[in-house]
Amino acid sequence: MADDVHKNTEVNGSKQPFPTSAKSFTAEDEATLTEALKRCSPATIEAAIKFRKTGDPTPVPTVVIGIIERFAEPDQRARLRGADDDLRLIEDLGIDSLTMMEIVILVEDALQMSINNDELRNLRTLGDIKIFIDCKVRGLPPPKPSRFLPIEHIGAVMPIQPPFLFLNEATIGSTSASAKYKITGDEFFLKGHFKDNPVMPASIMLEAIGQLAVLFLIEGGHGEEGKQADPQTIYFTGCEGVRAHRICKPGDTLTISIKPKRLKMPLATIEGQIRVGQEKAVYVEEITMTYGFREAMAQPAAAAPAAAAPKSVHSLPAAAARIISPAPV
Amino acid sequence: MARPPGSPCIVSKVYITGLGLITSIGNDRASITRSLRELRHGFEIYPPFDKPDVPVKVVGTIKEFSVDSSDPEDWVFPPRYSIKREILRGLAPNSLFAYCSMLQAIEDARLSPDDVTNPQTGLYAASGGSPFLTHHYHERMLKVGVMRTSPLGIVASIAGTLNFNLVAHFKILGASCGFSSACASSMHGLGFAYEEIRTGRQQRMFVVGAEDCNTDSILPFAGMRALSLQTDPNLASRPFDVARDGFVGTGGGAVVVLESEAEVARRGVRPYAEVAGWGQASDGYNVAISHPDGVGLQLAMKLALKDSGHAPEEVDYVNAHATSTPIGDASEIKALKAVFNTPGVRPAISGTKALTGHGLSLSGVMETAFCAVILREGFMPGSAHISQLDPLCEGLNILRATVAEAPKVVLNNSSGFGGANVCTVLKRAP
Repeated sequence: MADDVHKNTEVNGSKQPFPTSAKSFTAEDEATLTEALKRCSPATIEAAIKFRKTGDPTPVPTVVIGIIERFAEPDQRARLRGADDDLRLIEDLGIDSLTMMEIVILVEDALQMSINNDELRNLRTLGDIKIFIDCKVRGLPPPKPSRFLPIEHIGAVMPIQPPFLFLNEATIGSTSASAKYKITGDEFFLKGHFKDNPVMPASIMLEAIGQLAVLFLIEGGHGEEGKQADPQTIYFTGCEGVRAHRICKPGDTLTISIKPKRLKMPLATIEGQIRVGQEKAVYVEEITMTYGFREAMAQPAAAAPAAAAPKSVHSLPAAAARIISPAPV
Repeated sequence: MARPPGSPCIVSKVYITGLGLITSIGNDRASITRSLRELRHGFEIYPPFDKPDVPVKVVGTIKEFSVDSSDPEDWVFPPRYSIKREILRGLAPNSLFAYCSMLQAIEDARLSPDDVTNPQTGLYAASGGSPFLTHHYHERMLKVGVMRTSPLGIVASIAGTLNFNLVAHFKILGASCGFSSACASSMHGLGFAYEEIRTGRQQRMFVVGAEDCNTDSILPFAGMRALSLQTDPNLASRPFDVARDGFVGTGGGAVVVLESEAEVARRGVRPYAEVAGWGQASDGYNVAISHPDGVGLQLAMKLALKDSGHAPEEVDYVNAHATSTPIGDASEIKALKAVFNTPGVRPAISGTKALTGHGLSLSGVMETAFCAVILREGFMPGSAHISQLDPLCEGLNILRATVAEAPKVVLNNSSGFGGANVCTVLKRAP
């Protein structure tokens, strides 16, 4: 058995197999693991055994999803199967914090790792969990936690302002962002779109996706440490593959989500979608925007009001409050 | 409205309007009524005791439930109780029995969700917790580490598991509390619940008792030689018999719904019985042995009768605590003789633990429910399994067979470790 492990370590090479694979995985371990996962799908058990035997992290997401599925109420399980990474455990799947603990304990047990409370608090979506576990397994530092931004924050940093701002709240992660917008019926354009039949224009829904991408960039989603996207440099350049699936009307709450596809200054390309509840409303394969970095950050002396300047890219109220010039995408 | 200091401010009569029962003699009111009437016991040779080093063999088993696993998702229970995993994961066997009993009681009392969930409706509960799950979780903690024990291990296993679970899942907004006076616990719950309603602090109370029914909940009593070593299920529990040799363990769940006069009238329901009074007193004698003359129990009976406004001669039936232990039954016999000492006053007395076994914390409310059934159905169950009556009982009317006579006033006794004694008086509802 010890020989097997040694061989696997060599095969995986740079993949840095998870430390426990250094210990041999005995038949008894396999029986314990199978017993612990007895209410999970056979595929989950198989994936866990594979990981424990080889240390190869590829099957880990299958294990994690399989364990979440086991704890979700039966009527919610179907949602998990076709779910994207934005699926939220608490809000969408109805998993409470105690169930989260049960999930964590079984994941710990199955993958032989430990997860502390602080790490746990930051895991909101399926994507958060997949990335977190993947980092753990590979021995990498966990990604920065996603942050919730209320409307006050959004209003302060965004170049776009009411009545043309279509984000009520947002959550910014390191590799994705989501936001909500409730169609109130008071939007000025609904008077004419359409006559006696207010329907949210598809173009405005694309605008909302674009606005979330702007916020994502401003909040550091471009991924370059120490640099700050300048709101005044962000402009729309194009979009591809737009599909609208559902008419959205006053009273609907839009759940907007984006994921970056390519990020390299001066171009940012994201994929986006809008859902209402679980119904798909709009999907866009690509929206591309230009952006640039703020000069002032590199030259502190040039920024006169810099006494109160933000220390990190994640908080920039002083700078943002000055920016009101519109830059619609 | 000044009232003299020391006198309770009584604003309402209190009625029993609903019952829920999971017991060794039946899991619904109809089958339990039949068992009580026909003196059918619920005892079996218990397979986990089938070992050479376990001299105890008989248990009042709970049928239709299979709850031997430490994983609630393995449990089997009647399909009429549909329980989500989210609820199940925080339950012990005793809280499962209680949960099912609650569902029965709510249906039996014809309570709407709003009747259950409001600030005027509370819940008092009693159980000894789940030694079985406590053992399991501690073992797991030592084996896999402190951070990998079940997050709900505590609430599932400690003594408050009934009130934690039931208050949360049935959305109780009124008074809630657990009682811990061993085998008198749920009678304390009943007494204080009655107090809440008659003083107008609550309009409705659920009184709940439940216990696991397994090795860990029963066998520890073998150490103090309290359990019967009889191997014949037909002989093991025989209160008042000269050859009684200890109690037979059981578990299960019982729920009694108490309501104010106003609620009974508003909802237009027919009560089972009226709770007419209660009393309690302690022996101040020994941690585990009852006072040889039953002094605490005597006083508790007298106080309960005084509270109800009934004289001893008005009592038609006594449901004795009578666990079938040599010492405990003797104390109670002496206490009964001391209370019913007027010549010619001979209420019918029986011990239904001869049929069910001793349900520990559960027994008080379970037997209150039996008394409610007896008052409604109009019969008095015999004290089963007596082949030779203890001569000490001379002068008492220990019923040897069921009598088809309807009692009007019933006294129900309950005693627990430390010499806690609680009695309630129930009477036929108008």
